[in-house]
Amino acid sequence: MVKADVQLDAKGLSCPMPIVKTKKAMSNLVDGQILEIQSTDKGSKADLPAWSESVGHQYIGVTEEDGVLFHYIRKCSNDTVVEKTYEPTISIEQIEERAKNGGLILDVREEAEYAFGHINGAKSIPMGDLDEHLDELDKDQEIYVVCRTGKRSDLAAQKLAKAGFTKVYNVLPGMTNWQGDLTKTI
Amino acid sequence: MSNKVAIIASNGGLFDAYKVFNIATAAAASDKEVEIFFTFEGLNLIHKQAMQALSMPEGKEFMAEGFAKANVPSIPELVEMAQELGVKFIACQMTMDIMGLTKEDFIDGIDVGGAVTFLEYAKDASPTLTF
Repeated sequence: MVKADVQLDAKGLSCPMPIVKTKKAMSNLVDGQILEIQSTDKGSKADLPAWSESVGHQYIGVTEEDGVLFHYIRKCSNDTVVEKTYEPTISIEQIEERAKNGGLILDVREEAEYAFGHINGAKSIPMGDLDEHLDELDKDQEIYVVCRTGKRSDLAAQKLAKAGFTKVYNVLPGMTNWQGDLTKTI
Repeated sequence: MSNKVAIIASNGGLFDAYKVFNIATAAAASDKEVEIFFTFEGLNLIHKQAMQALSMPEGKEFMAEGFAKANVPSIPELVEMAQELGVKFIACQMTMDIMGLTKEDFIDGIDVGGAVTFLEYAKDASPTLTF
């Protein structure tokens, strides 16, 4: 099971109902939350990614089980450009090599985003859960904090620095620019 | 990119109604501004009585079963949804005059206008669709 904040049952409905229901459900989510849409409409495979693209949300992926499609969409209402303040940073091309030499890639995206594709060996701790999991991290290890665009990882890196971690790097620009292989856990 | 979708509904059968309202609700659910201009037989689609029993094309009556199976919403349901999503309905004044209809013959919440009303709206809409 992929973790989502809100579930929407659109099973048995045909076009355009899954889209209409998704739009309504999405308005009750806050930025960054994930909506799971359960649908039996095969057209939703093309429609929901297209809708997300057009409205500006992040379509994460789809799984299928017993004829039911489970779509995951992360709400991005206004991806305003927030200045990234944390130093030092590291480019995404460099981290795989650095991780091989003993560093840790820390993926702070939501569990669903991680499940649909992450860098092999990356550890998952969603940004919102970081405080409770600090004891799983090693202060002597280099940590490369990655998210989708570098925004959440910037905040996470600042959190880590405050908690006394000194070898922390914010990975830029983020998974949107990752060219390597993706590992899936779905 | 234009955020407006303009639709002309000029036919009055059940299939026409689905084409019009499916596209309209899908566009509105994608945060588009949508306006539909109902003209000639298209007025059926928002006529209080006519919209309840729109006809299938001759020889296609067997498809009623398919509609039920696919759990397609009824036209009145789709119309309500479209209005809830902010789709604007414009009934063509000229056609209403020809047919002897008044605003009261149509569902609530519609506007009445002429060709220029639609053209003004559609001048920067993309796409403009005709059904």
